[in-house]
Amino acid sequence: MDFKPSPERQILFDTLKKYFENEYSLSDRNIAAHSHLGYSKKAWEAMRDLGILESLIDPELDGFGGTALDISTVFEALGRGLVVEPFLEVGILAAKVLSRGNDAQKSLVKKILENECLPILAHSETDTEYLKSFVETKLSVEADESYKISGTKRMIKHASEATHFLVTCRNTGDASSEEGISIACIPTDREGIKIDSFATIDGGRVSDLTFTNVSISPEELVGELGMSYSIVSHAIDTGILAICSEALGIMERIKELTLEYLKTRKQFGVPIGKFQAIQHRMAQLLVEIEQARSSVINATIYFDDQTEREKTISAAKFSIGKIGTLVAEESIQLHGGMGMTWEYDLGHYAKRLVLIDHEFGDEDFHLQKYISL
Amino acid sequence: MDLNFTKEQENFQIEVRSFLNDTLEPQVVEKVKNGIPITKEDSERWHQKLNEKGWLAGTWPKQYGGQEWDVVEKFIFEEECGSAGAPRIVPFGVGMLAPVLMKFGSQEQRDYWLPRMLTGEDWWCQGYSEPGSGSDLASLKTSAVRDGDHYIVNGQKTWTTFAQHANMIFCLVRTSNEGKPQEGISFILIDMNSPGIEVRPIITLDGSHEVNEIFFSDVKVPVKNLVGEENKGWTYAKYLLTHERTGNANVAVSKRKIQKLKKLADDAKKNEQPLSNDPMFASRLAQIEIDLQNLEITNLRTLASVENGEAPGAESSIIKILGSEIEQDIDNLTRKSLGKRAFVNEPDALSTGYNGAEVFPKAAAYASGKYFNHRKKSIYAGSNEIQKNIISKLMLNL
Repeated sequence: MDFKPSPERQILFDTLKKYFENEYSLSDRNIAAHSHLGYSKKAWEAMRDLGILESLIDPELDGFGGTALDISTVFEALGRGLVVEPFLEVGILAAKVLSRGNDAQKSLVKKILENECLPILAHSETDTEYLKSFVETKLSVEADESYKISGTKRMIKHASEATHFLVTCRNTGDASSEEGISIACIPTDREGIKIDSFATIDGGRVSDLTFTNVSISPEELVGELGMSYSIVSHAIDTGILAICSEALGIMERIKELTLEYLKTRKQFGVPIGKFQAIQHRMAQLLVEIEQARSSVINATIYFDDQTEREKTISAAKFSIGKIGTLVAEESIQLHGGMGMTWEYDLGHYAKRLVLIDHEFGDEDFHLQKYISL
Repeated sequence: MDLNFTKEQENFQIEVRSFLNDTLEPQVVEKVKNGIPITKEDSERWHQKLNEKGWLAGTWPKQYGGQEWDVVEKFIFEEECGSAGAPRIVPFGVGMLAPVLMKFGSQEQRDYWLPRMLTGEDWWCQGYSEPGSGSDLASLKTSAVRDGDHYIVNGQKTWTTFAQHANMIFCLVRTSNEGKPQEGISFILIDMNSPGIEVRPIITLDGSHEVNEIFFSDVKVPVKNLVGEENKGWTYAKYLLTHERTGNANVAVSKRKIQKLKKLADDAKKNEQPLSNDPMFASRLAQIEIDLQNLEITNLRTLASVENGEAPGAESSIIKILGSEIEQDIDNLTRKSLGKRAFVNEPDALSTGYNGAEVFPKAAAYASGKYFNHRKKSIYAGSNEIQKNIISKLMLNL
């Protein structure tokens, strides 16, 4: 039995890790992450040149990766670097959806790699509904057999600079039904789209998108009318695997920062790491982070297994949610006031780690889902 | 056992309630209830209104403008303020320095400084922590060297709340390196406008500016600003810290926040049902409510023993641990209840002049920011680890 990554993936991980350590300064990242754009175009271009996007995309669409193991490896490295650029939104969510579309839509994936488009999946509709099948945005079939869509999408990350929206919508079925869901791929300058953007606590911008009688043509559907739930479901599951791996990278970095602090911060004449009360808490964090890693490995192994995927994905997302919040809170507490400051790295990692629990379903949602499967 | 207030106490409660109802500014209450930081001017206007009523320093002796409230009256006042969404009285002057001056200061110091706290002429901040001296406060290094009628102060303080607003600071400084570290500390009052003082902001992880670093280089402080005796400052500091740690139960504030959380959860939907019907959410909420009910009684038991003449000892450490952790639990569940909305961080959304997109629900504007900001509650005023050390030493004799 061997849990080590393949030599190629280890090299990829080490290369990215070194790149982020040397080239992706956290203070620059924080300025960009909390700017009006929400990320740095310069950093985005530089990282694209490294081939990060290609490593997330299948060879048949001009990438050189795209497997669960590739995605997990890359996102753990992105987590260590606390990268805020839209690899998840573009390289995973949009690319996975488009890869199931027609030739014109598949060619958009190639254009992503050529930096000619920035498509964004617009799926989530309410703040607290995490069901993947929850879609109320309405698709109506007009007399001339064209379509119109109306509805609101909420908390869509990195939407304000998008070139295309991949909008989920429904022509039949209840709000949570898996039947009746379609995906429309439309340019963002189409008439009837309103964008309201917000600053976020962990960096990047989010937007609410309002679609009012937006016209689409049948060729703009990704997949068949009303039959696209499995496409969006698979994209989101891939997204969950990606951000769980990102969380692992964040936790490893938090562990390093905290350990370093416990060894160097002196009170009462000794490093505070000499106090047994502190040692036990740090040891517990290590135990929990190992469990988190195992949950992500399990989800990666079963990712292509149709019967086990959802269950192991929910198990991982639950574990990451529960453990991530604990790691964030404990690491801040172990740092005392230093953990509370903007200037020091830890707080920024902690914020992203906690907010990962708010994306694609929190720990409670995935525990309940696990029970139901 | 009798857990009821007396008739007089009940009447006082009614009077406080009606005063708050008549006096509080709705837009300030809106900020407080949504966890949005209030401005210096908001605080000053509130202090002024309380002072006109004689309630800015209700526990003070009448001769200095107080009401001589006992612990129960203080409790009633604070709880009513908490549930009404009143701004917290900035504690550094009236709540912290004043008791020290009354017990250890000279008559001249009391006569000069106490009235100015009431009128708002002085805004005080607290110079305790240093970069190398947090939990180990007695190791502090900022020095004060006597030079004729002055001390010359050099060093650095940190985590100083509202130093950006303050014109005065009370400081622990080292006046001797002999004996135990506790034996060389003095307590002095320093004018923040003195030459040689520099204040630098510390921005916290939520992006807000509450705390600061203060640098002292050859700052001249008149000897008359020494409180009590030289090298006895540690005694005064400990006395002050017992005052800092009382009133940390925050039961009324936590109750108000739970009501707000329930409203949020009624309006939010999970699996097409109100979030409040979700068994996992309901279980989390119920556990916090039970913890809070228990704390309310624990806190009243402490108050009753003080009312009966027993000095509060390590009990205030129990209250500090529980009060901070329960408030953090509520902030945590509030963040969770907002789902994806918790990503939003637009604390200015409730201020006049904000022209960004409307944040809905309003509580989302700063909920995550508040959650992260309130991680400070288990760190400041003696970290919860230090409180456990105190309990171990004083209550368990370990």
